[in-house]
Amino acid sequence: MQSAVADAASRDRDIIELLRAGHADRAFEELLQRYEGKIYRLCCALLRDRSLAEDAAQESIVRAWKSLKNYDGRAALSSWLYAITRNRCLTALASRRTFESLTDELVEQTPAEPTAPAEEALGTGSERLRELVDQLPERLRQVLMLYYFEERSVGEVALMLGCPEGTVKTHLFRARAALASELERRGLHDPEYWMEIAS
Amino acid sequence: MTEPTRSDGPTDRALDAALRRALEPPRVTEEFRERVRAALARAAETDLAELRARLETERRETLARLEADYIRLKRRTLAAMVGGAFAAGAAAAIALPWMTKLVGPAAPLAIASIGAAVGITIGVSYWLRSRETVT
Repeated sequence: MQSAVADAASRDRDIIELLRAGHADRAFEELLQRYEGKIYRLCCALLRDRSLAEDAAQESIVRAWKSLKNYDGRAALSSWLYAITRNRCLTALASRRTFESLTDELVEQTPAEPTAPAEEALGTGSERLRELVDQLPERLRQVLMLYYFEERSVGEVALMLGCPEGTVKTHLFRARAALASELERRGLHDPEYWMEIAS
Repeated sequence: MTEPTRSDGPTDRALDAALRRALEPPRVTEEFRERVRAALARAAETDLAELRARLETERRETLARLEADYIRLKRRTLAAMVGGAFAAGAAAAIALPWMTKLVGPAAPLAIASIGAAVGITIGVSYWLRSRETVT
């Protein structure tokens, strides 16, 4: 994750300069422009629920604005911001009382047996695929979603989730393997079929 | 951009393409942006209100301290005046027989004059000292 952190730190150098020069408002404007979407997508990936994600993203941004003057530069700005967002999402999950463990223990679990709706109830291929992704263990699902949300950047996903890039790669590999085996089990492993969906 | 560990078979490539399509990033809506701006404005107002309340409290505390100092000064001045008056009376009572012997019937007038002169001297010197302190 070191290179991702270094990249992020150099990307945010201008914001840090603005902060040091005492232009907190301009620094925050810049930060918001750069990270609003990422914060929102991180919340969407962690919380699943769109309105809950919007609330959590909004609160994270307000919290970041309030704490920006206390930012000491020890961590990269993006790491600091993502940590605030993750904490906010954890609080949201806890308050919703459907908190599911975000630790790596979940990774060890195999995907749940298909409790999905009947095949005919599922819609198009994309919807079908989303259903399958939703059935993945929590951590695998989060990593997979963020990976595609963030234009397939492992480094950015690692930063967002606060874990090493190696862990992200492992989770991606496991998520793909779980999806592939589930598709095979359902007889949907024909590449032609998925290429058709993708086109 | 780093590619994850994966096999690159046709199924994997097809699945990757299908996932890219199925998991499109959610877009930040204009409504959400407005909500965030409104929340930030509210937070700023709250911050200002907190600052105002803190300054108000500080001002009230300073005023109370000044008021307490003023009352203490008034009490000390009053005590000094009462003490001074008693001391002057006692001194006059002691000095009156001696002054009568010295200046005759004009002794009370002489004592009063001396007392007035001492009082004026003390007052003027105190005033001069306080003026120096202020400047």
